[in-house]
Order: sequence, then structure tokens, then C-alpha cells
Amino acid sequence: MANETQTQNVSVNNFEQCLKCSICTVYCPVSAVSPEYPGPKQAGPDAERYRMKNKEFFDDALKMCLNCKRCEVACPNDVHIGDIIQAARIKYNTHRPKLRDMMLANTDFVGTMASPFAAIANPILKLKPMKAILHGVMAIDKHRTFPDYSSRKFESWFKKNAASEQDKFNKHVSYFHGCYVNYNYPQLGIDFVKVMNAVGYGVHLLEKEKCCGVALIANGMPKQAKRQGEVNMTSMRKAIANGHQVLTTSSTCTFTMRDEYDHLLGIDNHDVRDSISLATRFLFQLIEKGEIKLAFREDYHKRVAYHSACHMERMGWVPYSTQLLRMILGIDFVMLESQCCGISGTYGFKKENYERSQAIGKGLFDQIKEVNPDYVATDCETCKWQIEMSAGTPVMNPISIIAEALDIEATRKLNNLD
Amino acid sequence: MKFDIIIIGGGLSGLTAGIALAEAGKDVALVSAGQSSLHFGSGSLDLLGCDEKGNDIYKPLDAIKAVNSKHQYNKLEDVSSLAGVAKQLLERAGIATTGNITSNHWRITPIGGLMPTWLSMEGMATIEDPDQMPWRKVALVNIINYLDFPTKFLASGLRDKGVEVDVKAVSLPELQKLRQSPTEMRSSNIAKVIESNELIVKLAEEVYKVAGEGYDMVLLPAVLGMTNSEKSQQLLKLIKVPARYVATLPPSVPGVRMQTMLRKRFTALGGTFFTGDQVTEGLFEDNILKGVKTAKLDGTTLEADNFILATGSFMSRGLKADYNRVYEPALGVDVDDLGLDRKTWAKIDVTDAQPYMEMGVKTDENLRCMRNGTTISNLFAVGSILSGHNSIKRLDAGGVDMLTALQVANNIIK
Ligand code: SF4
Ligand code: SF4
Repeated sequence: MANETQTQNVSVNNFEQCLKCSICTVYCPVSAVSPEYPGPKQAGPDAERYRMKNKEFFDDALKMCLNCKRCEVACPNDVHIGDIIQAARIKYNTHRPKLRDMMLANTDFVGTMASPFAAIANPILKLKPMKAILHGVMAIDKHRTFPDYSSRKFESWFKKNAASEQDKFNKHVSYFHGCYVNYNYPQLGIDFVKVMNAVGYGVHLLEKEKCCGVALIANGMPKQAKRQGEVNMTSMRKAIANGHQVLTTSSTCTFTMRDEYDHLLGIDNHDVRDSISLATRFLFQLIEKGEIKLAFREDYHKRVAYHSACHMERMGWVPYSTQLLRMILGIDFVMLESQCCGISGTYGFKKENYERSQAIGKGLFDQIKEVNPDYVATDCETCKWQIEMSAGTPVMNPISIIAEALDIEATRKLNNLD
Repeated sequence: MKFDIIIIGGGLSGLTAGIALAEAGKDVALVSAGQSSLHFGSGSLDLLGCDEKGNDIYKPLDAIKAVNSKHQYNKLEDVSSLAGVAKQLLERAGIATTGNITSNHWRITPIGGLMPTWLSMEGMATIEDPDQMPWRKVALVNIINYLDFPTKFLASGLRDKGVEVDVKAVSLPELQKLRQSPTEMRSSNIAKVIESNELIVKLAEEVYKVAGEGYDMVLLPAVLGMTNSEKSQQLLKLIKVPARYVATLPPSVPGVRMQTMLRKRFTALGGTFFTGDQVTEGLFEDNILKGVKTAKLDGTTLEADNFILATGSFMSRGLKADYNRVYEPALGVDVDDLGLDRKTWAKIDVTDAQPYMEMGVKTDENLRCMRNGTTISNLFAVGSILSGHNSIKRLDAGGVDMLTALQVANNIIK
């Protein structure tokens, strides 16, 4: 009887485990720079008690939360503070999202619209008058550099240049490329295909891929996020039934589909979750098992500083990427201190957040300037925009660095492909 | 993933062992579930502050020789030399301290008590001998609206020692902004606000205005410098009259600083940090620990030649209790529950020495853990998860953490 009482005493998101130590507050990047934000302990477990009594206690300031989960990583009692805050926003927020938020959140829709016009859209988005309009009318901050839209989508490149080759391989994976690879930076997808092919894996696209929905969650559109999530789950189930792992090259997409789908959107992903992985983790695990080998160019020499993206940190997977990068002998590896870069997806694009976003990232930018690497490596695409804009150092996904350093011929030989 | 040594727990003891081993050229990984109890630290490390009867210890070396047979200090080969190594290890990490093992000095607690201690971080107020207070008249200068520095208690504690105390308060507009969210006027947020040289100069001026003349010492809450001691030292210099810091209620800024700088040192030495993850299972074979599984790295085993358990006591969840037993949740190693009946684990009066505080994992003379009564040859335990000491009553937490960690590092390197 006594034991039963104890095991049942587990609250939603562990909020009753909070012992009010305030450690989470120390690590919250927002409460550091925005005194009007109530901070994780107050916004999370403390206020949750009130909100449970009366929804009037919902505080609009909660939208300042980046959902970076650094509070959760720091909490010694495993309180899911970020989840509590996001769940409260979903449950209690009554405001309809603004047009601007809808635009920023619908990364795939806007991408589809912009890609064919990339030659026009990119320069326009860079023009001062256009930025002034975005700033004034849309409240998208004028200091932001928009990530370029690529003139050719990754999917088009893949169909034209790679798809027909993929069935030749004995082993196969599916690739969730995400909006960023598709519309803004197809090169990362191309690098991914190059690396996977070199170690004997054929790459396939999912039957249907929708944006993972992270931006929809952040911008108050959970219903649409859920619909898109269900589409992704259905496609992934099919891929998994074919014996494929589903790989991504984005820590945030991965985290969203593995954890937020279940925790925040109520999507049942239990049968899919373990088959979704990050490409670096997948490669590391294969190398460790001795199933594949990588050979690197001897003339490759770069100083690389690794930045731990928030959701990568929350997943606990940072060492997969760093251990993989450290296998490249020509790399002079530096680990940056783990802190938020401030962008948090679409957050930093909003006029009301711009200054806060830059203030949050300042410590990181200073550190990068001091280390002065050839590249910053990180697993998150929005960190890339933020760091390139603010620290001026080129940022690469670890997969792109591997693709660059890889000796393809030697690797193919090592994996008995020739 | 394979390493030379895997340490479970990222607080003072785990990081000390990690740094010592990484300095010796080992490939070390550290798995840490959430932040450590350094966040409740005092800015000082205690070695052995009180004897069995609760009296202050002045000369800790003699007292250490006299600790009872259960105390972990009995397993240290050479306490003085380890203590010296500990101080140097902190210094190499950028943490300068005052104090040594031959004589304790005294720190001031946030509620005005004086406690014997071993090493204090630079800038903290210390007292050589509590029977001869070094100051006749003190200004206690708080930041307006900051509640975690209870000046009334502090003043009354000092007055009891015959010191004349004036309580003052200062502020800056930048600090008052923090009050927009009344719960957020916390030490760590103040530290984050006072980062620029400009604000430090202004704050120094404000302090000088209220306490610039007529005091032997100005005492300030320790709310500056979470990542290094540069800012906090700069403020003391700019105030132009003798000034020092006193620990606040948690979160402790000097504690966060110590945690941050130790972690930075560990990473700079090439150590790998598994953040926010938890060891869930140990893979044992013939009394050897082959590897551990964690909550987040599903599909991956972390392997090493040696393992160190540094997960802390009940408060840090290194030990757990249910209605029937006390156990160690990560690896299931043997716990010494002192053979006590459930009803006698705790004393009704909370200020009494609590028996459960002395519970902890069992270890052999080399600080190796046991499972089902058999020693595991490559699994060691360090810090407050060890049995046989009560850090609240004996004031020995910092010493147990650092010295057992260094001893185990030596045992492994040998
Ligand atoms: S760190 Fe965790 S336990 Fe501490 S106050 Fe925050 S939520 Fe509560
Ligand atoms: S998720 Fe990030 S921004 Fe939100 S409360 Fe936690 S630490 Fe702060």
C-alpha cells in the first residue's frame, strides 16, 4: 500500500517535483535579458498551480519563452519546465496568431512560394525598402538577413540527379530533409546523400513530407502542427515498414518529431520515435559497430568550433556529433561553451524580440570571435543564420564538414563498394 | 562509445575527479543529470569544521586524524598533500582561494552565523579567529529589493560578536528594472545585469556614497560574476575602502561560478560532457562494470576501463529512499543503511544529527563500490554519496568531495 502511494505520486510534466531551488532561472537565457519575463520556475511549475485553478492566471509574457529547454537540462529534479510553459500556451492562449506569425510559421508554404522566384525574392528581401515594409507592416525586424531562398529545391535536385542511383545500394535509409534543406540550403541535403552513398546506403525521400511544425507550435498554431505531424508519421510508418531508418540533418526537426509530437501535440509517435535519428548519430553508431568506415582527405586541415544547439543539448546527443567530428584527424577541434545563440527559430525574426535575441547570443558570438575558427559546426539551421549574421563566421552542419573532408574513393573502397 | 574513465555526476566531486584524470592525460567522459548542489554553495569549501560535540575545530589536521573509523577520511593516503593538490587544481581552473589545511578560518553564513571553513573563493569575507573579530564597525550594504540577503539576521549575528553594524542599501535604475517581475530579483539575474564596466563603476560609486567613510569593512551580497571572478574583484577595488562579499541564499553566484569554471576547465582538457542525461543501468560481468546505459543515448552503451560514481546524496538524487529501504538508483550498488530500523532513520527534532545523513554507498579501502556484497573492481565512489559522514553536523562536504575524488584519481592512475 505504502509503495503504491509513492509510485502514483507523479504529476504531469513532473511539476510537483519542483523544490523551488531556482537553478532553472540561472540558465534561462530570456530571464537574463528581459526582466519582464517571469522566468522558468515562476512561469512553469509555480504558475501552473494557479492556472489549474483558473485560466485567468495565464500570463501573456509566456510567449517570451524560447522553448530552448535549457531550464529542463539544468533542473536537478527533472521537472519538464519548458513543456509546462508550452503546454500552457497551447491550452490557455486565446489570441489568434498574427499574419506575420502565420507567415513565419508556414516555412514550407512560404518556401514553395518563394523558391521559383528566388532570383527575385532574394534581392527583394535584402532591399532596404522591403526590409522597412517587413519591419513596419509585418513586424519582422529590419536588421535580420533573410536566409536566401534557393532557386532549386532540394527535392528537385534529388529527383533529377540522385533518385535513380539509390536503388543500386544494398542498404537504405529515408531522409526527412526539412524545410531548410529543401528551400534554403539544398547543399546540406546533397552533402548528406554524398556521405550516405559513400558508405553504401541508398537515400530515399519520404512519400510525403510536411514541415515538422516546430514554428507552428511556437507561433500558436498547434492544430495545423498536429495535422502536419500526422502526415509525417504516416509517411514514416511506411518507410519504417520497408526497413528504413528515418534520418534528418536538423536537431530541431528531430527533437520536435521525437518528443514534442507526443508531449505537446498529443500525436502518438511511440512506434516511430526510435526510428527517427540524426544523421551524425546514425553514422557514429554504425562506425562504432564496425559496419561502416570513413576515410578522410590527408590534406584537410580546419579549425572547427562546435556549438551545442539547445534542442541537441536537450536530446543529450551532442557527443554523437562531436565524437564524429573528432574522428577527422585534420580537424583542430574546439568545444564552445554551451549557451543559446538567441534565434530560436522564428523568434529572433520578430521585431519585438530582435534586441533580446541579440543580447542572448552575445556571449556566444564573443566566444566565437575569440576562438576564431574556420567554421562553427552545429546541428541546427537557425543557429547557422544567427551565428553567421552576428559573428561573421561560416557555420556548417557536421554532415557538410564530413562531406568536405571525406576521401570518397578511399571510403568506398573501405566499405567494399568498388 | 568508449572512454578511459566515465564519471557519473557533474558536481564538485565528479568534476574534481574528471579534471585530475584529464590532466593526467586520460580520456574522460562525465554524465550529469541536471545541475549540482554547488548552486547552493557558500563560496567556501569546508574540510572539517566541527567535532562530534559540535564545537568549532581550529586545527583540522589533528581532528582529521581523530575522526571515527567510519569516516571516509580514513581512506585517504595523505590528507595534507591531497588538500594542497585540491587547492592547486582549483587555481589552474581559474578559481583562486584563501585558506589552508593547517588552520580553519571562518565564513559568514547568509543568516549571520560564523562557520569554520577550509578554502574561500577570492573576495569572500573571512575571519581568522572568531574570538577576535577583525572589524569594529561594519557597513552591510544590500541592493534595494533584493530579498535573498537577510540583512536583519546578518546584522544581528555580527552584533552578537561585538561588531557595530550599519545596514545600508543601494541601487541602480538597471537593477530596479528587474523588479518588473517581482519573483525575478534573484542573485543570478542581478549578476547577469551587472556585466558592463560602466555599471560596475556606477555601483561602486553608489556603495562608496553610503559606506565610504567610517567603516573598517563593507560587506556586500555575493551577486557578481557567474562565469569568472573578474567583475566581482573589480567592484571591490573600485569601492576604494575595504570591502568583501558574503554568501546569499541560493542560487549562489560564487557556487555557479565555481561550477562553470570547473566545467570549462574539464572541457578545455578534452573531457566529454553528457549533459542532462541519466545513467539508468550498469552492465556488470564477473564483478567488473563493462558499461552503462543512459536515458537519452538509447542504443548506445558508454564503455570505460574505470567508472566513478559521484551522484551525491539524497538531495541530488544519488541516493533514494522509499518506505522500506534506501538504495542507489543508477547502478544498484550496495548502500550502508547503518542497520537502522525504518523508524529510526530520522530524528523528530530537525536540528538533531539525522542518522539518515550518514547513510551512503558502501566502499572498500580503495573506495570501490560493492554489489550484493562483492567488490566491483573498476567502480569507485566519491563525494557525498559515500557513507559515514554528516556534512551538516561536521562541516566536511567540500573536503569529502574533493579529497575522495583526488584519492580515487590516484588509485586509478596507479
Ligand atoms: S530547477 Fe527544477 S526544481 Fe529547481 S526551481 Fe526550477 S523547476 Fe523547480
Ligand atoms: S525553455 Fe528556455 S526560454 Fe523558456 S523558460 Fe526554459 S530556459 Fe527560459
